[in-house]
Amino acid sequence: MTKNNGNGNAINSSRTPAVAHDCSCESNPLVPTLCEIIGITEETGDVKTFRLRGTDGQKPFSPMPGQLAMISLPRTGEAMFSITSQGEDWIESSIKRVGELTEDLHDLEVGDILGVRGPYGNHFPVEELKGKNLLFVGGGIGLAPIRSLILYVLDHREDYLRLDVLYGSRSFQDLVFKADLFENWPGLCGTHITVDAEESCWDGHVGFVPNYLEEKAFSPDNCVAVICGPPIMIKFCLDKLAAMGFSKENIITTLEMRMKCGIGKCGRCNIGSKYVCLDGPVFTLAELDELPDEK
Amino acid sequence: MDNKTITITKDDLATAIRALLPAYNVYAPAGEGERLAFAALDESRLGAINLTGSPVIPPKELLFPRSESLYTLDPETGAATVPEIAESTLIFGVRPCDLRGIENLDAAFLEKGYVDSNYAKRRENTTIIALACVTSPYETCFCESMGGDPLAAKGADVLLTETKAGDAFTAAFQTPKGLQVKLLWDSLAMDCGSAPAMTEGSKPAMTEGSKPAMTGQHNTLRVTKPDDLPQRLMAAFDDPHWAVLSEACLGCGTCSYVCPTCYCFDIDRESGAKEITEYRCWDCCMFSDYSRMAGGHNPRPTKKERLRNRYLHKLAYFDERYGMTLCVGCGRCIAKCPASLDITEVIEWGGGAL
Ligand code: SF4
Ligand code: SF4
Ligand code: FES
Repeated sequence: MTKNNGNGNAINSSRTPAVAHDCSCESNPLVPTLCEIIGITEETGDVKTFRLRGTDGQKPFSPMPGQLAMISLPRTGEAMFSITSQGEDWIESSIKRVGELTEDLHDLEVGDILGVRGPYGNHFPVEELKGKNLLFVGGGIGLAPIRSLILYVLDHREDYLRLDVLYGSRSFQDLVFKADLFENWPGLCGTHITVDAEESCWDGHVGFVPNYLEEKAFSPDNCVAVICGPPIMIKFCLDKLAAMGFSKENIITTLEMRMKCGIGKCGRCNIGSKYVCLDGPVFTLAELDELPDEK
Repeated sequence: MDNKTITITKDDLATAIRALLPAYNVYAPAGEGERLAFAALDESRLGAINLTGSPVIPPKELLFPRSESLYTLDPETGAATVPEIAESTLIFGVRPCDLRGIENLDAAFLEKGYVDSNYAKRRENTTIIALACVTSPYETCFCESMGGDPLAAKGADVLLTETKAGDAFTAAFQTPKGLQVKLLWDSLAMDCGSAPAMTEGSKPAMTEGSKPAMTGQHNTLRVTKPDDLPQRLMAAFDDPHWAVLSEACLGCGTCSYVCPTCYCFDIDRESGAKEITEYRCWDCCMFSDYSRMAGGHNPRPTKKERLRNRYLHKLAYFDERYGMTLCVGCGRCIAKCPASLDITEVIEWGGGAL
């Protein structure tokens, strides 16, 4: 199958290159390895999840939950995405259509080839979270980075106590990972789903995430909240969590900054003296408070 | 003086550099006035060497080029090829402040997790011959205020210092790479007629006139930089004065391009029919789209935030991360900013803040 990658040039994806790297470039951390798309899930109108396997049949790398991958198309360029899930020989990333590269990525089909490098950044503190109740709060595509942690925790269920996922989006159609939300997770953890406004196809909770969070009044006892979503949602949720008694050390979030190198060199993603690509993207609220307000 | 020092007369400088050409790609300041730049030397250009000033574009460009290919991609298969970086390079005439700038780049590119492979290879393959500043090349030089010593360059492989009489340089060989240079010059002294000029430092040729000129005319620009400048500036993070400081800035990027310590880069690709080139090039945090994200959000939306980030990176953030100031006081940005912004004003103001 030959597929146009959206920029006028064909990537011949039926032909798996014998060698992805015909040179010494493993030593250069900026060089991507080639991956094949082995599955695409349409999450919403503008979010697709891509399942990627190395063209050599191997898993490109084994990330920790919360880590990032630089995904590239030869003719368009590269950008950083969170890795939402992983399996035996694949990793998965959920990508929202927001710009040129993501447009082109959305045009790809199963069998197409793209470049991947990583994994980058720190990760959710899975060790420190052991023996805790966990509250996951997500909005929109913000569930993507959290999902890697939820899946990890479900895989190591006995290490963690009560689990709750509170998630919302603009509409039912805009909820990502519906299979997880409505089929896979309900038996395994508390799922509390909300959409912003009434609609005929939805008989669940209606209202904004921060309000729903307040309504649910989760106990802060031995509990860590992991939150990710649009900045405005995070801002209001942080107020609610503070009112509920969560300390800044027990609130974890992930940051987004523009990135170029992913390896703490190009200077692009700095907030104060921290590089989000290296020292982040995962920070506790206490750590964020130490950084200049330029997020 | 010890046998790690020799004296080279100015008349014999070309001979000394010629002796290096077979072993290295040699770069030295060449040209006049505004066109003074680190240039690749060959036999025909030896006469153009000009050690009287300091090029506006610092020698960092030889370790971290303005633009360089990271790898090329085969558009058909997507397979990557990385260019070879293997040549032996020698940079002649690096000023002490610029050497400290290179030490800043070493920290940024070689420390904290990843190693930047292109930089690492170039650095490894490069020998540096520094030139002490017996006089400050720019009126705006303020290296002494930033902890620099215009007459020393500890990290350089060789340090040249003009003698008091002004007709020769003493060369101090400070590293194994420097001793390689000495070998080439020693053999020159044996092989050709210039032997008398290439005097071993320990020999009696060391007259009063060939002693290094230790009392040069140094920085006229001075600034008070307290040790706790980073803390003081951070305490002034929300000060409205940042807006005043940034008012005249045009966002042109000149300050970064001429700075020996600025290392931020952009990565982009050029798409040809047969080959796609992923390259990186110097970037500047004063550009309006520097941190703008794909969705449009920009954490540093106006020049106030951008200028504050630039100066704090130089004077506070880098110190916090790597334990050194990211400004060596070379004075170029002050001399070249079309809007007359002056980092020493920020240092003075910050020093008084808290
Ligand atoms: S050189 Fe001056 S005007 Fe140009 S970006 Fe730098 S500070 Fe602004
Ligand atoms: S900030 Fe200005 S004075 Fe300082 S090292 Fe850079 S160009 Fe030189
Ligand atoms: S993306 Fe280059 S430093 Fe973080």
